[in-house]
Amino acid sequence: MNGLAKDLTRLIGDGKVLCQPEDLLAYANDATHYFRTQPPDAVVLPTSTGEVARILSYAYEHYIPVTPRGAGSGLSGGATPVKGGIVVDTKRLNRIVEIDRDNMTASVEGGVVLQNFHRAVEKRGLFYPPDPQSMSVCTIGANVATRAGGPRGVKYGTTGNYVTGLEVVLPDGSVIKTGGKFVKQSVGYDLTHLMTGSEGTLGVITGVNVRLLTLPPVTRTMVIVCESLDQAAELVSEIIARGAVPAMMEFMIKLAITVMNNYVFPPLPTDGEAYLLMEIDGTAAQVEHDAETIKGICRDMKAREIREIEDERVARVYWKARSAMYPFIMTIFKRCITEDITVPRSRIPDLVRSVQEIAASVGIMIGLAGHAGDGNMHPTVLQNEINEEMEAKAKQAIDMLIRRGLELGGTISGEHGIGIHKQEYLDWELDQIQIDLMKRIKAAFDPRGIMNPGKIWVEGGQQ
Amino acid sequence: MLKLENYRETINKCAHCGYCQATCPVYLEDLLESHVARNRLNLINQVLILGSMPSSQRFKEIVDRCLLCTNCTQTCSSKVPVDEIIIAARAEIGKGKGLKGFVMSKMLQQRGLTGLMSKAGSLVQKMGVAAKQMPQLASKSFDQIYSGTIPAQGDQRGRVAYFVGCGTNFLFPDTGIAVVDVLTRNGWEVVIPAGQVCCGIPAISEGDLAGARDMVATNLKLFDPDNVEAVITDCTSCGMMIKEKYSKLLEADDPLQEKAQALAGKIFEITDFLQLKGLSAAPGSLNQSFTYHVPCHRGWSPTVADAPRNLLGSLPGAELRELEEPERCCGAAGTFFLQHRDLSESIRSRRLEQIEASQADTVITQCPVCRFYLSAGLESQQVTHPVILLSQAYNTVSS
Repeated sequence: MNGLAKDLTRLIGDGKVLCQPEDLLAYANDATHYFRTQPPDAVVLPTSTGEVARILSYAYEHYIPVTPRGAGSGLSGGATPVKGGIVVDTKRLNRIVEIDRDNMTASVEGGVVLQNFHRAVEKRGLFYPPDPQSMSVCTIGANVATRAGGPRGVKYGTTGNYVTGLEVVLPDGSVIKTGGKFVKQSVGYDLTHLMTGSEGTLGVITGVNVRLLTLPPVTRTMVIVCESLDQAAELVSEIIARGAVPAMMEFMIKLAITVMNNYVFPPLPTDGEAYLLMEIDGTAAQVEHDAETIKGICRDMKAREIREIEDERVARVYWKARSAMYPFIMTIFKRCITEDITVPRSRIPDLVRSVQEIAASVGIMIGLAGHAGDGNMHPTVLQNEINEEMEAKAKQAIDMLIRRGLELGGTISGEHGIGIHKQEYLDWELDQIQIDLMKRIKAAFDPRGIMNPGKIWVEGGQQ
Repeated sequence: MLKLENYRETINKCAHCGYCQATCPVYLEDLLESHVARNRLNLINQVLILGSMPSSQRFKEIVDRCLLCTNCTQTCSSKVPVDEIIIAARAEIGKGKGLKGFVMSKMLQQRGLTGLMSKAGSLVQKMGVAAKQMPQLASKSFDQIYSGTIPAQGDQRGRVAYFVGCGTNFLFPDTGIAVVDVLTRNGWEVVIPAGQVCCGIPAISEGDLAGARDMVATNLKLFDPDNVEAVITDCTSCGMMIKEKYSKLLEADDPLQEKAQALAGKIFEITDFLQLKGLSAAPGSLNQSFTYHVPCHRGWSPTVADAPRNLLGSLPGAELRELEEPERCCGAAGTFFLQHRDLSESIRSRRLEQIEASQADTVITQCPVCRFYLSAGLESQQVTHPVILLSQAYNTVSS
């Protein structure tokens, strides 16, 4: 055991510190394994906020980099340590502290797995909508840190819309509690939402308060096969404008449907140019009403086909296939890099056409799926070989995609965050005044620059 | 062959998404990412394929601390055959040479030698395993009760062969008796080829590919899949082995290859087969509640986990009480529980809580090791094979 691991063990006890290379390898990457990284020098697995505080004050004192980590399922490299140091794995902070039905709030530790939390609240007839596609493994603290969203964003918003308070260990080891159980607060700066999306660069999120909704009793899944991209976009806008907002509304192109047909039976027709997979939810009467409205719109606008999936179990297969899209693509390709551009939803057809043009002009395949309702699209750059030429092409395609997303009035990341992956594009979207302001905020929280260094902006997070 | 060099490409299909954390029983106990498929694959790649990291005690531990339950493989959208890669790595590391490997590969190569089996038992005890942690051998093994061809009762619908696994033969002959009873009542003539040996899954789990291959060859020579409607197994692990691994254990040009593939096309778990073909004889009632512990080795048939629910759930007096997580592992995993006692017991303790919470009279499962291991931990509920309950329901009609 090295000196660092010995010190850490002395601070938090046996069985919570890893320092063997075979273990460190497991914490050297997140889902973006294609970035070159430096494995950490130690991994800690604290079980309490107090332990996290002791680790951070030690790291602060010794100027050791700290990378907080949830499930390591992120797509931006946010949980990837680039300067070694200590990885703080939060997954053993996994207690659901309280589910308060009277106030419709819950309090959890940062490492609670989202799906476990979904199950726990839904058992009580309550609902926590945020649904990043990694929900079977990802943790709520890390959802807050990346401002994670998912298909339900269109109707229900993302993690940030539900967070009402946080417990955070600051880089020097002090612990703050922001916000609380209340859903309204007007007291000073909103540190809760400053921490939300801070990607581990300001502190470690060890506790989260969220507000809850009532669980919609009925859901129904529908697939609309559209003649054209424009028709799909017009349908999306019309459905939302008419108030029949689905809980999820996923946009897919033929390639994605071909992938999905590996899971669903009977297979979906592949003769449309675009597809909308949606789930409507609410009371039985509401669902019926919304379904009729949507079907009426589809008839009026002459969509090719509407498939309603009555059987709950079958419907789950469609959604499971949707969330498996990214890893499934890996059965075909050697590398896939998923982008996260978000545009005003009326610009989706422009974006889709641009994606196709970029793929053709660069000479690389780009898959496409996304959350149509909120304009958050996931073009995925696919490489069937890993070599310098393909990597250069991939980079060129990503540059062009991001440039185009911004031209269409969009943003470079809707829900994945910046991490390492998008740091070179940060100043494409934000002006220098904002970036400098962010750096000053960073310096105020973390004057020694130990928290998740090398993320968000290109160098180190320091001025 | 299940050789690591054949997985050079497939191992890189891992998208590193980490979704395997959701279902790995070992990870869910340890909450250490070192002990989940994503890292196991990465490590095997670095150490044994790329040679960029040296082999070490810790590496071996990580490769060893896997149940081969296939939950990660079933969760994996990239369809990486994690279990096969672990088996290939174990073969390369040279497991299967220790005492347990010897027991697994040599003892189970023979049948009808109960003496030898009990000798195996005493060897295992020397490994420091208390008697009550070991399954008790049945006083009469299945092959001492039934052999040869058992005619159908009433009109014959066809002929099936029965692959009798070690669990049924040595520990739970009551399962085999029920298999024969239910099949023959439903018009199936049952052929039990003499000389069957272990399916080989314990041997590959130890990385003993050569030993497993011998068993595969012995069994393949005994079965004639072209002349039967189906080959029946009552054990989901034997079924997975025969369906998915037999062909892979043989070289591509092995003369037995064709037979291995034919057998893979004909192998069915007993309740799965009954559900597929329908019951020609009506069972009676089953006046009890039951819950279903779905075995981990279910991925080889999309319907094998529905079959017991459908067959038994509709019987008069039967009440199916689903478990909180029907597919959660019990921790036994062949002989894993003998070597990793604390880990297995802590995996099991969560399972026992869920089973007790179901308040069902009976627990059903199609895996003899789950049956033994859950029984050993439960106070009052009995654990049995679904075909035994079905046979009981038939006997309420006859009596």
